[in-house]
Amino acid sequence: MEFDFGPVITYFPTLLKGLGVGFLVALVVAFMSIVGGLLVAVISIYINKVVSWPLRFFIWLFMTTPLLLQLYFLYFGLGEWILIPAILVGILGLGFHYMAYNADIFIATIKSVSDGQYEASRSLGFGHGATIFYIIVPQAFIRAIPQLGNNMILMVKDTSVLSAIGVAELVYASQYAISVTFRPFEFFIVIATLYYLINIFMELGQAWLERQTAYRR
Amino acid sequence: MDFNLMVEVTPLLIKAAWVTIDISARGLLFGFFVACGLVFLQSFRFAPIRWFARGYISVVRGTPYFVQLLLVFYGGPSIGLKLDPFTCGVVVGAFNIGAYMSEAIRGSIESVDKGQAEAARSLGFGKVHTMVSVVLPQAAALMIRSVGVLAIVLVKNSSLVSIISVVELTYQAQRLIGSTYKPLEIFTLSALMYIVIVYAVMGIIELAYRRATRYTTQ
Repeated sequence: MEFDFGPVITYFPTLLKGLGVGFLVALVVAFMSIVGGLLVAVISIYINKVVSWPLRFFIWLFMTTPLLLQLYFLYFGLGEWILIPAILVGILGLGFHYMAYNADIFIATIKSVSDGQYEASRSLGFGHGATIFYIIVPQAFIRAIPQLGNNMILMVKDTSVLSAIGVAELVYASQYAISVTFRPFEFFIVIATLYYLINIFMELGQAWLERQTAYRR
Repeated sequence: MDFNLMVEVTPLLIKAAWVTIDISARGLLFGFFVACGLVFLQSFRFAPIRWFARGYISVVRGTPYFVQLLLVFYGGPSIGLKLDPFTCGVVVGAFNIGAYMSEAIRGSIESVDKGQAEAARSLGFGKVHTMVSVVLPQAAALMIRSVGVLAIVLVKNSSLVSIISVVELTYQAQRLIGSTYKPLEIFTLSALMYIVIVYAVMGIIELAYRRATRYTTQ
């Protein structure tokens, strides 16, 4: 039982590249899942049942099945129609998954904004759409921030799962390096440490964001 | 939709679903013990033991389950920890969910009004007796709900065990999709099975919750 972190240092640039890919994916997915989740929530609450039921079904389906199964479905399902790079499948899969979770949060927070806000805004001359966009949604968004933060922290950890469909993120990059150096323990320890550090930073960021927006809640 | 294929693969998927249930149930059972152990360690007066428990929880919650699984399965042998895939899935699942669960349990115990414990103590109940007959029954309702949510997380996490080649639902689904090129049919079936499992767990939680709150009025 001897540890040799030499190979990890040799392959550190590869790992960093993987980290970069993971960061890029996480960034796009964060944007996609928050904006998409908000849209899904607004549409499923305010537009008629014909549109909202499929959306509710989508949220329900993505929340009750595991991410990996969804990824495989997208990977093979989309692969049947078009040639699509793994990273795009990964972004779409992770994006849809967390879009459903975020939409669920937004639905709850939109409903928690009191009806009086809507009525007051309408009586001041705002239209239906303008009320939703300028009055309801901003308040709901602020209230959703703590839970959104939790979801985004979970999401960053879940980027590691994308290696299963061949997205070249941190775990995938290390698997290549491990197959060459046969040092799985050292590599995975380093990767776990990297994820832990990222997680700590994200938790600090979340706490800061919550402090900044606390007075509006 | 190719219904003949769906009928054909259903037995295979059901068999795999049992493995998913098996691995999740065992993980939940051992995870509960791990969680209780962690809660117990955090009640120690000797600070380093508390720090150890806090540190463990923080690290487990701060790293992906997937990486933990790979670390133990592939990295384990180099520190003398050789586990077969199924056992590895159960053990890592238990130690992972245990960290989350200990937070849930601690939270529900702390949510019980301190006056309850103080009153019991002043009536002559011992420390353990106070915990068992006064605090825990009141914490149970909240505990069941939050542990139940984690049970569902555990079921969904169990899909990742397919990566270390345990033949459970996701592994079987992926293999069948790969061999039949019918992703929609296989996905529909396997998603349905996950949904059934998740709803069964939710039903059990609801029953347990009702039983725990049968004497309390809402």
